[in-house]
Amino acid sequence: MDLLNQLETILESDPLIDEVGFIHPSQFVTLHKECGESGNLSADGDFGSTNMKFWNRDHKLGISTEVLLPLCKAAKSAFMNVMKQYKMLSNLSDSKSEDENAMYVSSLSCQSFEDEVMKHSRALLLLSSDFGTAWNARKLVVLKEQQLSMFTDELLLSALVLSYSPKSEQAWSHRRWVIKMIAGKHLNLQQILAKESELVEKIAERSKMNYRAWNHRCWLVSYMTREQMLHELKRSRDWAGLHVADNSCFHYRRRLMLRILENKQEGDDFSYGVENYHVMKEELDLNEVLVKRYIGREALWLHRRFLSLMWIQHLTTMCGISCHSEQKTGIDNEINLFLDKELCLLDSCSVIQDTEFEDFKAQAMYSAIYFLWLVKQIPQLRKIEMHEKLKVIVTSFTSSPSMSSRLGSDYQIQPWSGVSLPFIKSFATWIGDFITAAVGVVLASMDKVVRTKLTGCRPYGSSVSANNVDC
Amino acid sequence: MADASFGFSTLQMGELAIGKHVHYILSVEKKKDSFESVVMDHLRMNGAYWGLTTLDLLGKLDSVNADEVLSWIMACQHESGGFSGNIGHDPHILYTLSAVQVLALFNKLDVLDIDKVATYITGLQNEDGSFSGDMWGEVDTRFSYIAICCLSILRCLDKINVEKAVSYILSCKNLDGGFGCTPGGESHAGQIFCCVGALAITGSLHHVDKDLLGWWLCERQVKSGGLNGRPEKLPDVCYSWWVLSSLIMIDRVHWIDKEKLVKFILDCQDLENGGISDRPDDAVDVFHTYFGVAGLSLLEYPGLKAVDPAYALPVDVVNRIFFGR
Repeated sequence: MDLLNQLETILESDPLIDEVGFIHPSQFVTLHKECGESGNLSADGDFGSTNMKFWNRDHKLGISTEVLLPLCKAAKSAFMNVMKQYKMLSNLSDSKSEDENAMYVSSLSCQSFEDEVMKHSRALLLLSSDFGTAWNARKLVVLKEQQLSMFTDELLLSALVLSYSPKSEQAWSHRRWVIKMIAGKHLNLQQILAKESELVEKIAERSKMNYRAWNHRCWLVSYMTREQMLHELKRSRDWAGLHVADNSCFHYRRRLMLRILENKQEGDDFSYGVENYHVMKEELDLNEVLVKRYIGREALWLHRRFLSLMWIQHLTTMCGISCHSEQKTGIDNEINLFLDKELCLLDSCSVIQDTEFEDFKAQAMYSAIYFLWLVKQIPQLRKIEMHEKLKVIVTSFTSSPSMSSRLGSDYQIQPWSGVSLPFIKSFATWIGDFITAAVGVVLASMDKVVRTKLTGCRPYGSSVSANNVDC
Repeated sequence: MADASFGFSTLQMGELAIGKHVHYILSVEKKKDSFESVVMDHLRMNGAYWGLTTLDLLGKLDSVNADEVLSWIMACQHESGGFSGNIGHDPHILYTLSAVQVLALFNKLDVLDIDKVATYITGLQNEDGSFSGDMWGEVDTRFSYIAICCLSILRCLDKINVEKAVSYILSCKNLDGGFGCTPGGESHAGQIFCCVGALAITGSLHHVDKDLLGWWLCERQVKSGGLNGRPEKLPDVCYSWWVLSSLIMIDRVHWIDKEKLVKFILDCQDLENGGISDRPDDAVDVFHTYFGVAGLSLLEYPGLKAVDPAYALPVDVVNRIFFGR
């Protein structure tokens, strides 16, 4: 039996294969040994223990890296050949279909060609996951047949391909096409969404920061109900806590939150308002816990930028709606309170406890940049008497017993060493001063400088004073 | 802010091995019998664009037989007007742009039935202004860029609804200033290049908050000097193109350390056999060789042709298209 035939026979005989991998010949030996120890030597016949090209047990398929090239060539040529014939035939049956007998014959052979197309394209896609023409051929056939089982088979094949090639753009795109085809018509959309979300989580576990996988999950959100979105937010909470460097997961949570916050038309405005408040508050709290537990993680700090922005926007909107001056003062107070908390966070994060490890320096840097970003993004911040707050920080810096560790050696440079100088320079004088202030270098003119910069705030001003940024 | 001071520093950090890279690119075409080359077979049109644009930037486009390339490209065109990645494959907008770009490199756009290609691309615009990649309907801001860039090169941008195309791209903008594949998609430097490029070509850059986006983009530079495409990711030479070209288009390129980036790209060269890899000491490929060379060109590295950050073609080619030389 030739190689392609062997592979296709395995795929035919075990339709439940859920994982494919390419194995080095030396790994085959190990696998055989393990198999021998478990005493099932002959159980799988040709494709089990004796075969050195394919491995198929427990619905897992291994293909020897030694046969990849000839196998891939054979699959490609078999697929391209049958596709050519199939297209010719469907053109024929499209153009002349009067004769019933001829129609019967051509539909019969059409059917067998379709089977061949499906067989060869499947083998090919297990070797070359982004072979778009093979995915397209399957779409053609499935679309023609319109059977639910064929659509769901496509989801299985795509998942199988993703098991060895989790970033395959074509495999993800094929899924979306299938889902759009069957959603509503055949299956319950909510169930599909839940299953898809699970699949992404499973793949994301093995393939870190997989943009395509998370993009798929973000795509699902537009089809979700409010309840589902809230459920997803809850469900991905623990995962996020265990994968704090995975920006994609946090982006997914941002996407969910934005959708949750924007949908308030239907239903009870008030209860949604309360729920939304809690969604934001909980995420802010979770993020703070994570920021303090996992030192120096960029993704966590970027997430905090988003959360603070949302939070202040939320408070400001409430302020805009309310016309009572009492309430306005209350909200102003809330914003002030929030900023005080953020300044405390900044204060606690800019302590470099250990100069051996980069993490603390990174933490100090991210926290200070986070604050700068906030000042730039949120106009309200500039109206508030920021210089007073900064003065408090600076005072605490100078009076703190750990001050020597903060100002020790070349501290002034260290927290910023990850950021290139032009980056800092271009944030101009006011940011340069702010950095200086935030890391606790007390300038004699501190009070005046900060007040000028933060109230007159000319973001990214063009003139750069070397004195201020050459820290 | 032109920086002409690379003269002395490149001597310290090693130079671009131009001859080796030319040799590497020419040799890739001959190595057809590996698993890698077989599985890349379906996107040979992209490969042709990467390889040939690199050769042109290195001033060595004349080392290939233009007629051979042209007849192969035209054999990849379909009845619909679209091009496929190789002979016998299905057409897709991804390969259509590459085909048009390569024809532009050789100054052979006149072999095209421009209406036919334009009809194919126009037919892929959706009601909301977005573009599908092919008849099967996957939508992505990459396809918006491709459609806009391609039609602009063919001088018939007026055939699509530009206003809607722009508003769709803007609907993919995130609060961090970046752009994703579809509305609500995560910001990614590659997608940002596509969106900013499309906005630049259509004269719509005023819709971008340049400081905010510039901030996100320059935070992509890591300690080694290389750029990553998303937070927490390793640096990769290809982002020297995606991030750098975007920064140039929004006029914020002075926010990164250019000299360190030059050094990072040069460190990714295979000095023995030519070619550039994603990171130092990894295996080289044509994709990264192109983005490394194009990135150096954006950084005004001496001895390279200038490259246009929006059209991703040598500036002289772009000038020829729009100003008849």
